[in-house]
Amino acid sequence: MSNRSLALLAVASLVFTAASAFGQTAKPEAAQNIPRTAGGKPDFSGIWQSLSGADYGLEPHLATKDGPPGAGIVVGDVIPYRPEALAERAKKFAARATADPRTKCFTLGTPRGIYSNEPFQILQRPRDLTLLYEFGHPVRTINTNGTEHPDGHIDFWLGDSRGHWEGDTLVVDVTDFNGETWLDRVGDFNSDELHLVERWSFLDRNTIRYRATFEDPKVYTRPWTIEVLLYRRLEPNVQIIENYCSTLDYDKYYPFPASNE
Amino acid sequence: MKSHLKHCVPALFLGALAIAPTAASAQGARGWRETLFVPTPQGEWTGPRLPDGQPDISGHWSNTIGNHNNLTDPQGPLGGDDEGPPREGRQNARPIKPRSERAPSRVSDPPDGQVPLQPWARAKQQEFLKYLNNPIKPEYVEPFARCAPGGPTKSFMWHGYEIRQYPGYVLFLFDSGNRVIYLDGRPHLPANLKLWNGDSRGHWQGNTLLVDTTNNNSKARLGRSGEFVSENATIQERFIFDPNGDRFTYDATYTDPTVLTRPFTITIPNRRVTDKTPPDDWNNLTFPAKHAGTEPIIEAYERVCVEGNGDHGQVVAAAK
Repeated sequence: MSNRSLALLAVASLVFTAASAFGQTAKPEAAQNIPRTAGGKPDFSGIWQSLSGADYGLEPHLATKDGPPGAGIVVGDVIPYRPEALAERAKKFAARATADPRTKCFTLGTPRGIYSNEPFQILQRPRDLTLLYEFGHPVRTINTNGTEHPDGHIDFWLGDSRGHWEGDTLVVDVTDFNGETWLDRVGDFNSDELHLVERWSFLDRNTIRYRATFEDPKVYTRPWTIEVLLYRRLEPNVQIIENYCSTLDYDKYYPFPASNE
Repeated sequence: MKSHLKHCVPALFLGALAIAPTAASAQGARGWRETLFVPTPQGEWTGPRLPDGQPDISGHWSNTIGNHNNLTDPQGPLGGDDEGPPREGRQNARPIKPRSERAPSRVSDPPDGQVPLQPWARAKQQEFLKYLNNPIKPEYVEPFARCAPGGPTKSFMWHGYEIRQYPGYVLFLFDSGNRVIYLDGRPHLPANLKLWNGDSRGHWQGNTLLVDTTNNNSKARLGRSGEFVSENATIQERFIFDPNGDRFTYDATYTDPTVLTRPFTITIPNRRVTDKTPPDDWNNLTFPAKHAGTEPIIEAYERVCVEGNGDHGQVVAAAK
């Protein structure tokens, strides 16, 4: 087989992988069955959670003592790191027990907060979507009021999110990252130059299809994409319960002063 | 512009250590700061409403009388360290006016303006205050300095904050932590789940949002002055909005037989931050949004704290 045929085969298998992940077996529900706001936009309000296990590794991975196996959520399976970035990931992997920002209860960031193991709530208004993450309790705003990224580069933990609607898909442009966050527990990462484009759409009324494309020439050789499903939490007593995780380290110093001390 | 942590960390430093690198910027709030206020009366709401019927009070707000330093003397000194003449690097970098010219106690009931602590609790509060600026034990470090949430009431004694509303919810985004008020009538969380900002259930009555807050872990002090309640405390809160949309009065009545001799009420006046409000890095943490239109849109950037709290880590280490 010629190199060209091999390349074509590789592309075809990539396309097949991407398509088979969700497209062929899970067709979007009829548009009239999804929840909508008074203004007619898809209404993503609710508490959502990924079951992908992607936080244990975005790429396909076997079980370790740290976590379960998973088929990953990277379209095409492999994150196209630059060689020096691959070395950086190896360093991060080796130091992950203490260097992963999650272990310090820091904001997981974008997009990790979406597909991590923890739930988050979307509160939606015409002008914005507010994402209330349970872990660490940070808040991300996706502005949908026609505003643009602020001038200059600002180092945000969650990035600066500006969204618009393309039909029933919310397309969000995210920039202004600080490069301090990780993408999972095994050292996958991006730099402050990341440009993320998210596409949020309903698969059915209780499932969001979340797709995000990473562009970051400092770290990756080409753009790459993740695709993951988010499930609506339906337990009648479900509520985002505050988890100011960083307070757990000193929680013990602050019982209210007892009278018998 | 590198990072907006500056809103959190240096200002927290001011609160935590009284070596106030940003005391000057707090003084920049002079135009905002008021010594007197007229409580908004409860009554009808005649202002704009949201499609779900709630009074539309969403937007940016800040308290008008001072920070969380001293609960009962909001514009006064705190402890021996602050009673000297104004000096850069002290909590009272601005001149202290006579008591009669300063804002009244935030404790609006009982009439003496003090938290009605049982004698043992008063002694504990005095002990905390004594070591506040010299925290020889970890428990003397005010938890807010470690980026803990401020608790239901003290969160209103800090930087400007934002209110967002949704069918069934009112959301408060504070500079340190946030809080959801559930309006949908769901029961409280199980009683054993104690939270920094409690568990809040509310409903609207005219111009007033009435909130019942339970599940308090009460780990946050009520001010750097050290007043506290126990995890048995319940709080009845009233957010009373002026229908002109410009101001609201926050009242919180604490009930806690474990620590108090009787219930007491904290009252905090608040004022709306608009695109006309001068930026002061304290009350007004908003920025004009970039957009092609002509209408003014202001927005606040992300609020994080622990991620940039290295200096406090050192304070905390020193306290161990």
